[in-house]
Amino acid sequence: MICPRCDDQRAAKIFDSPESGAWEIYRCPRCFFTWRSTEEDRVTRPELYDADFKLSEAKIREMIPKPPIVPPEGAASKPRY
Amino acid sequence: MPYGSLREFLEKAEQEGRLLRIAEEVRLEPDVRTISCAAGRMTGGPVLLFEKVLGYPDKKIVMNVHGSWENHALTLDLPKNTPVREQFREIVKRWGRYPVPAKRVTSAPVKEVVLERDFSLFRELPLFRVNPMDGGFFLSKACAIARDPENPSNQNVGIYRIQVKDHDLLGIQLSAQHDLAAYLRSAERLDVPLRAAIAVSNDPIVPFVASSPLKFDDDEYAMMGAIRGAPVEVVSSEIGALDVPAGAEMIIEGEILRHHRAVEGPFAEYPGSYSSSMLQVEIRVDRITRRRDPILFENLYTGEPWGEIDYLQGLNTCATIYNQMKLDFPEIEAVNALYTHGYCTIIASRMRFGGFAKTLACRLLSTPHGITYPKLIIVVDANVDPFNLQQVIWALTTRFRPERDLALIPNAPASTLDPAHLIRGLGTKVIIDATTPVYPDIPMEDNISVDLPADTDFWIGEIQKRMQAKP
Repeated sequence: MICPRCDDQRAAKIFDSPESGAWEIYRCPRCFFTWRSTEEDRVTRPELYDADFKLSEAKIREMIPKPPIVPPEGAASKPRY
Repeated sequence: MPYGSLREFLEKAEQEGRLLRIAEEVRLEPDVRTISCAAGRMTGGPVLLFEKVLGYPDKKIVMNVHGSWENHALTLDLPKNTPVREQFREIVKRWGRYPVPAKRVTSAPVKEVVLERDFSLFRELPLFRVNPMDGGFFLSKACAIARDPENPSNQNVGIYRIQVKDHDLLGIQLSAQHDLAAYLRSAERLDVPLRAAIAVSNDPIVPFVASSPLKFDDDEYAMMGAIRGAPVEVVSSEIGALDVPAGAEMIIEGEILRHHRAVEGPFAEYPGSYSSSMLQVEIRVDRITRRRDPILFENLYTGEPWGEIDYLQGLNTCATIYNQMKLDFPEIEAVNALYTHGYCTIIASRMRFGGFAKTLACRLLSTPHGITYPKLIIVVDANVDPFNLQQVIWALTTRFRPERDLALIPNAPASTLDPAHLIRGLGTKVIIDATTPVYPDIPMEDNISVDLPADTDFWIGEIQKRMQAKP
């Protein structure tokens, strides 16, 4: 199964609906995208997923929150120039 | 009587004609989001109870609990037709009773079922995607509880967006200014465990206070007691001795993973736009306690305003700012920070002297909430109700002199979620003085104001009463 968001090939089914046969849930181990089999095509199909929301390994590396949740040791007092 | 749980509140909402049961089968996507968006967007939308969810025979979903001024009044145990300004006054009054500490109990319905292993969050809750481009299924109204590792008597209850990433794994979005982020900084520095408990589906006062901008060491439970008018009951978590709301439907317990970040989000936020996907904190879940099925899952729809979130984080924010400013400036009558979480804030006040409106605007910008959120600040006279936009626009059109009364503060701190930014986190503050100029300012030459008839306010109340009494 291909992740609709980051195209990782290792996405897999992780859950079946408690009421048998209603839907399944899938999950990507890289970007943690989860989706239900019954959702609209733009959510479940890799080729229709909005390009602005697509993720890649390179993009993921850049996604550190700014400002950081925990600043590096001594960052506040270090001169920047 | 204050409510002990979401269930007790729903009973009251139904008695008052404010609960709509959706009896037909609904799909988790897109039906729950669509109907919830509609209920929050319309005027006077009811609380929604989805009784039949496709795929989950033993779960129900509750939405739009705070999503109209009528519902909001009921959550405060006020008559459902209480006007917004009166609700504001009542909240300010109850705020003054702080602290009313929590009452500890040893047993609670939320302990009826205790799960220690082989559980799945996908089985326990009827999770759904709130908006189409959200990165997963989110708990958008659950309250996270944790203790400060450096000072364990300091405990925080806050609403954070929480993504269910696996059967026993949660993502939680922390920003540098959040209390929980400060706890994490300590836990990572000291290298000690940081426990968290997530309370799902609560007495509506719990999320009301959890989404209020209280001070770092304020006790949210003691504020809930003040707002409810009676202590809130808490019970100990299974691990880590956290106080959790005894009336909750479910408590999810786990450990925040230190020195570890992973992909979280995006998620649609209150400005009506998605916030970006980030490397964020994760919680490994190791206990779930809950009531017996059928369990109620309460969640929040967020999207283009107006919706439930605008009501939920509305008057609590107004009251917090009002109380902080009132200490320095007793002339202030009311603060309306309802629009996009205070991006537009309206202050009503008596004027001490000419130019005083700008002083008040600057004080707003130095309150904790005011540092970032307000970008458009309007100051009106004390006789203008800032919650009545017709009156505010009247003040703007008849008092505001742009060449003297408009001030811009460029390059000032701004909300990082404002989609109109050029540099994230920076923006221009716009101050508009729409008050009647007073000495030593130049008076309005032709201002011969018409007085309202003396008993107008009395008659507004009287007419409303008589209309409500009609069969």
